[in-house]
Amino acid sequence: MNLLKKPVKSGESFKNTSMAARGEPALWTMGGTLALGVLMIIAFLILVVWNGIITFYPGGIEQIILNDGSMIAGEIRRSESYRPSDDILKTVNTEWKEKIRRNKGVAERTLFKTGNYDLYNEDFKWVDEFNIRERTNPENIYYFERVEWGPFIGFIEKVELGGRTDIRPENLADRLESEHEKAVERRQKIGVIEKKKISDINHSLEEERLELKRVELAEGVDSDPYREAKQAYQEKTETLMAKYKKLQDEAENLKQENSQFKLTLKEIGGQKKTLLLSEIVRFYAANQLSLLDKLGVYFSRWLEFLTAEPREANTEGGVMPAIFGTLTMTLLLVMAVAPFGVVAALYLREYAKQGHLVSVVRISVNNLAGVPSIVYGVFGLGFFAYTIGGSIDTLFYPEKLPNPTFGTGGLLWASLTLALLTVPVVIVATEEALAAVPQSLREGSLACGASKWQTIKNIVIPKALPGILTGLILAMARGAGEVAPLMLVGVVKMAPELPFDGYFPFVHLERSFMHLGFHIFDVGFQSRNAEAGKPMVFVTTLLLITLVAVMNAVSIHIRNRLNRRFSAGHF
Amino acid sequence: MDQLVELNNETEETVYHFQEGPEGTVIEIDDFSLWYGDKQALFNNRIDIQKGLVTALIGPSGCGKSTLLRSLNRMNDLIEGLRTGGRICLNSQNIFDKNIDVISLRKRMGMVFQKPNPFPMSIAENVTYPLKVDGVRDKNVLAETVERTLKGAALWDEVKDRLKENALGLSGGQQQRLCIARAIAAEPDVLLMDEPCSALDPLATIKIEDLINELRGKFTIVIVTHNMQQAARVSDNTAFMYLGKIIEYGKTQTVFTKPGSQKTQDYVTGRFG
Ligand SMILES: Nc1ncnc2c1ncn2[C@@H]1O[C@H](COP(=O)(O)OP(=O)(O)OP(=O)(O)O)[C@@H](O)[C@H]1O
Ligand SMILES: [Mg+2]
Repeated sequence: MNLLKKPVKSGESFKNTSMAARGEPALWTMGGTLALGVLMIIAFLILVVWNGIITFYPGGIEQIILNDGSMIAGEIRRSESYRPSDDILKTVNTEWKEKIRRNKGVAERTLFKTGNYDLYNEDFKWVDEFNIRERTNPENIYYFERVEWGPFIGFIEKVELGGRTDIRPENLADRLESEHEKAVERRQKIGVIEKKKISDINHSLEEERLELKRVELAEGVDSDPYREAKQAYQEKTETLMAKYKKLQDEAENLKQENSQFKLTLKEIGGQKKTLLLSEIVRFYAANQLSLLDKLGVYFSRWLEFLTAEPREANTEGGVMPAIFGTLTMTLLLVMAVAPFGVVAALYLREYAKQGHLVSVVRISVNNLAGVPSIVYGVFGLGFFAYTIGGSIDTLFYPEKLPNPTFGTGGLLWASLTLALLTVPVVIVATEEALAAVPQSLREGSLACGASKWQTIKNIVIPKALPGILTGLILAMARGAGEVAPLMLVGVVKMAPELPFDGYFPFVHLERSFMHLGFHIFDVGFQSRNAEAGKPMVFVTTLLLITLVAVMNAVSIHIRNRLNRRFSAGHF
Repeated sequence: MDQLVELNNETEETVYHFQEGPEGTVIEIDDFSLWYGDKQALFNNRIDIQKGLVTALIGPSGCGKSTLLRSLNRMNDLIEGLRTGGRICLNSQNIFDKNIDVISLRKRMGMVFQKPNPFPMSIAENVTYPLKVDGVRDKNVLAETVERTLKGAALWDEVKDRLKENALGLSGGQQQRLCIARAIAAEPDVLLMDEPCSALDPLATIKIEDLINELRGKFTIVIVTHNMQQAARVSDNTAFMYLGKIIEYGKTQTVFTKPGSQKTQDYVTGRFG
C-alpha cells in the first residue's frame, strides 16, 4: 500500500491527519510557555543589569531658577507625569494652565538629587515643569561625596591648604587634587590606628581581664594565685594603657594636621559650609567632565563599592563585608550540607531495608522542602544558638558570661540553619543519582570480593558524583539567595568585625556577619530615605546575582569535568 | 500441565555420565534447592563440578541456570526473601556455613556477567580492582598483574598503549574480555560465566570462546550458555537443566549425541526451548 499517491511537498502527506495527532498544538503551547518564562527572566535581568550598570555613572548638574526666584541645583534622577491638585494649579500662570488643561490635567515633573542633606533636610526634590523659569548648567559647580551627610552640591568659595589661603587660581585644581590625596591617606591612617591598633590593645586588655577572671573562678578571690594574677594584671594593663595613650596622640596629631586643609563651600542658595579636605571621598566639577573623566569616576566608584566598608547607614560606600559574609556562609553551608545530605541519602538508598518506614522518611524529607524558611530561622535560633550555643558557652567560655559567645546568632549557626534548609534538595538529588547507578556495576564489584562499603566508596559514589554535585549546586544557589531565616540567626545590618582576623584562632564562626541579600533589604526598605537607597539596591542585586552565577558556573565546570571522566564510552 | 511437570521433576532422577577430571571434584552441589520467597526455583540438584574442566549449564530460559550459578558465589545473598536447602561445598567446605566469610568466598570465584560491566575507571585500575580491595598496594605486583591478566585474557596487545585510558572507551567485546581479565586477576579457583557472549557479535564471541579454551586447565570454569554449539565447542561436561532441576549431567559429546534422557534429547534437537 502506498501512502503517497503522488510526489508531495513535505507536510502535505499529513493533510488528512487531525491537528492534535500531528502534535503541533502541544508544541505551540509548550514552546509558548517556555518563551514566556524566558522572556520574564530576560526582562528581569535587563532591569537589574541596566539599573545596576548606570548607577555609578556621574551625571551633569543642572541649576534651576524657579518662578519665585529661588534656585536649586542637582543631578536629574528621572521625570514623570502626574496630576497636580487644584491648590497647586491656582499658583500656575495662565499660559501653563492652558497647556495643562489641554493635556487633560496632566503635568510633568522632574526629580532632582540636590544633596546637602545637612542643610536642606532632604536629598531629593521634585520640580514641576511649570515652576521653572530658567535652566542652566553652571561651569564651576562641584559634586562632593562626603564621608558623612551624603553628597554636597555647590561652589568652592574659599580654599585653605596648610593654613594658607593665597593659592594662585591656575594652580588650584592640581594642588587641590594632590592635597586631597594626602588628606585621605591621613584619614585612612587614623582609621587604621583607631580600628586596628587600638582594637589590638583592647583585645589584649580583654584577654588579661578574662585570664584574671579565670583564676578567680578557679581559685577564689582569697587566694595567693589570685593575688599574684591581680598584680600581674595591673602591671600589664599599665603598659598597655601607655601604648594606648601613645597611639591616641599619634592619631590626634594626624587629625590636627587634617584640620588645616579645608574648603569653604557655598550651596546654590548662598548658605556656606566649611568642609575638611579629609572628609571628602571624591569630588568633581560635574559639568566640565570629559568622557574619560566620567569613566574614571565611574570605575573608582565601583572599586569603592567592591572593596570598602559601608558608610551612611549602608546607603553609601562599599559592600565588601557583605560579599565576604555571603561567600563564607555559602562555603560553610556547602561544607555542612554535603556530608550530611550525602550520608543520609546513602543510608536511605543503599543500606535501609526498603519498606514503609523508609517511604515515610522519604516523603517527610520531600515535605521539608516546603516548610517556610523563616521557620528554619526560628528553629536555628532556638536550637543551634540558644540550646547548643548556650551549652558551649557555659562549658568553654564561662568567663565571658553573661555576654554570649556562641549563644547568639552567628556565621556558624546561620550556615547550619541554611544547611538544614537545603538538605532535602541534596538528599533527593543524591538518592536519584544513586538509583541511577546500574546494579550490574554493584554486582561486578561485589563479585570481585569487595565489601559493601568498598563497593559504595569505589564504584557507586564516583559514578553518582555528578548527580550529587548537581544537588549541591542547587542547594548552594538556594542557600545563597535566602534571607529571611538569616535575620534570626546572625545576619546584621552592620557587622563590627569580619569573621576572620589576626587574633587566635583567626576564624571566628561565632561572629555575626553581613549578607548581600539582607543588605538589599536593609538599604531598600529600612534606610531613612528610600530614594537614596534605590541605586544601591540595584547595584547590590546585580552583585548578588553575579556572585551566585559565578559560584554556580564554577561548580558546574567542576561537575562537567567529572562527568567526562565517568561516562565516556559507547557501549 | 505445568504443575504436573513440576511434580515429575521433583521425583525424576538425574542421569549421570560425566567425565572425571584429573584432580577430582572442586564444587560439590549436594541436594541443593532454592526458593525466591514462596516460589521454588531450584529442586534438589546434585552434581560434582570437576576441577580444571569446563562445565556448561544449558537449558530453556527461566529454568534456573543463572540462579544456580549465582548461588555458587552467593551473589543471591543480595535478594530479599531468599532461602536455600541442601549444601554447596567448595573444596569440601559448605559455603552456606555460618562461619564462612562471603567476601573471601567471592575472591575465590571470579564472575563474568552477561553484559560487560567494566567499572568507570582506567583499564589498568579495572584489572587491579580485586587486588586493591584486598589491600594490595605494591606497585610492582599491580603492574605485573595487569600485564599477566590482560595477556591471559588475550587483550594485552590491543590495549597495552592505553592502560591509563577509561575502560568505557573499549568496544563491547574488548570490555567483556576486560571483565574476564578482572575476574581472573585475583587467581580464583573457579571462574563463573553467565552467558558471557550473548551481548557480543560473532567475531567477539569466537575470541571469547578461544579464550575459554586457553583458560581450560588453569581454572575450573562454569559457563551458562543459550547457545548449544557454544556449549559443544568449549565444554567438557554439560548439565542440562529443566524447570529448576538438572536432568542430565554428562560428558558434553555424549549429551549432544546420545543423551540419556528424553527431555535432553528433545532440547538438544531443538524440539523445545
Ligand atoms: N530475584 C528474583 N526474584 C524472584 N524470582 C526470580 C528472581 N530471579 C529469578 N527468578 C525466577 O527464578 C527462575 C529462574 O530464573 P533464572 O534467572 O535463574 O533463569 P535462567 O535459566 O538464567 O534464564 P535465562 O536463560 O533467561 O537467563 C525464573 O522463573 C525466574 O522468574
Ligand atoms: Mg540467566
